[in-house]
Amino acid sequence: MSLLAVDNLRVTFPSDQGPVEVVRGLSFTLGRERLGIVGESGSGKSMTGRAIMGLIGAPGRVTADRLEFEGRDLRNLPEREFRKLRGARMSMVLQDPKFSLNPVIRIGDQIAEALEFHTQLSASARRARVLEALEAVRIDDPERVARLYPHEVSGGMGQRVMIAMMVVMEPALMIADEPTSALDVSVRGQVLDIMDDLVRRRGMGLLLISHDLNMVARWCDRILVMYRGQIVEELGAGALNAAQHPYTLGLLASLPKLNEERATLPILDRAALDGFMAGAAR
Amino acid sequence: MIDVRNLTVRYGDTTVLHGVSLAVAEGESFALVGESGSGKSTILKALVGQVDDWQGQMTLAEHALQPGRRADLARQVQMVFQDPYGSLHPRRTVDDTLAEPLAIHGIKGRDARVLAMLDAVGLPRRFRFRLPHQLSGGQRQRVAIARALMLEPRVLLLDEPTSALDVSVQAEILNLLKGLRAEKGLTFLLVTHDLPVVSFLCDRLAVLRAGRVEEAAAVATLRAAGLRSAYGRELLERSGLV
Repeated sequence: MSLLAVDNLRVTFPSDQGPVEVVRGLSFTLGRERLGIVGESGSGKSMTGRAIMGLIGAPGRVTADRLEFEGRDLRNLPEREFRKLRGARMSMVLQDPKFSLNPVIRIGDQIAEALEFHTQLSASARRARVLEALEAVRIDDPERVARLYPHEVSGGMGQRVMIAMMVVMEPALMIADEPTSALDVSVRGQVLDIMDDLVRRRGMGLLLISHDLNMVARWCDRILVMYRGQIVEELGAGALNAAQHPYTLGLLASLPKLNEERATLPILDRAALDGFMAGAAR
Repeated sequence: MIDVRNLTVRYGDTTVLHGVSLAVAEGESFALVGESGSGKSTILKALVGQVDDWQGQMTLAEHALQPGRRADLARQVQMVFQDPYGSLHPRRTVDDTLAEPLAIHGIKGRDARVLAMLDAVGLPRRFRFRLPHQLSGGQRQRVAIARALMLEPRVLLLDEPTSALDVSVQAEILNLLKGLRAEKGLTFLLVTHDLPVVSFLCDRLAVLRAGRVEEAAAVATLRAAGLRSAYGRELLERSGLV
């Protein structure tokens, strides 16, 4: 049985021009693997993650033929029940630790919050789990870091703290929305390594949402390429050169290379692309 | 065009630049590469007078700069910032934004100049009276570039001009910058962490780490992945390009 099964997922927001569908009939399944969702801004990739986490509030509307997590139907799950899942069985790592950590709460206390909410552990047991989680994200002196406030740590360290916060409850599913785009190139590798390690060792399923085609291709088992709310292509690990869809090909071509000799970069022809998509839909 | 010698900048007790030297010739495109905290943005800030307390010698567009004094160089040097969402006034139309430098400097023919600039940066003229929130990220960055070019400067300082943009939009803006440079004979000083962007847009680069220049190289060296310093090689590896 797969960890997560999504069939015909749609997310709609009302607008002055009538309802706008930002996710348009997405279907995929996720096992204990690393699945990457790649797309540009507005492709609906983040909305997909949020819909799975039950984080799309009114006036947004989420519908699906099937939305199952560990065999439980998430459609119309009451908020009370969802709260028991979020942070415990499924959790989300966000882009920028600067904005996602509470600036006035010590790091250790922030990590402990999930334990406080979801378990009956004693304070000392909670503390031990917090230190363990910090160690799991390769923070060398967890005692010291637990006492710090978010502004006292670097971006890379902050992102590791966020991951610690997500894994402290050992969830089955981790959704990482652009977990490395606010980080320097040098710490990106480290953060990805840590997530990789956690996924392998704890047998988590990971949904990695990113705009960085190359990074996702190097790092995930499978890739879904999204454009305008739809999956246009599914690719295997490291198989970017097997891409066929004009959108994926256009994206790849528009990336400058290290040995860039082209005088101009090719630009995505959106009109032609929309024509292609309309043709494919028929 | 830009000559920096032995530039040292301290914030309190912390030294963020340790005697950095670099020279950019007229019409050249030069990149400063490094991670956050390496001091690459501080060099730009010192050049435009946003850092008051520095030591060393700096010459910009044939003007010797002095610490604590802002040289009147707006018509020589302009800057484009990373985030087009943060660098445009949210309640001013494109027209206001582009015409303001002209008004300040008492330049006539604003109407024609604004229209000409919209054409030059590839923005349809109908966008002239729109507000920033009615534009996409790429369009906003075009406005920011247009604003920087209104006074016809000779030097553009570019601080991560495409890192907030989508890949396909990045290509458009990079093409635009490259075209404008060729057309107007601009000198670029570009700050970035993205090595392929350097390869596309620049002639030479300097690798910065912890406030020191680790290596200066021609772009051909970068294209051949031939950076020699340990840190330069590390950057290549971490970019996953070697």
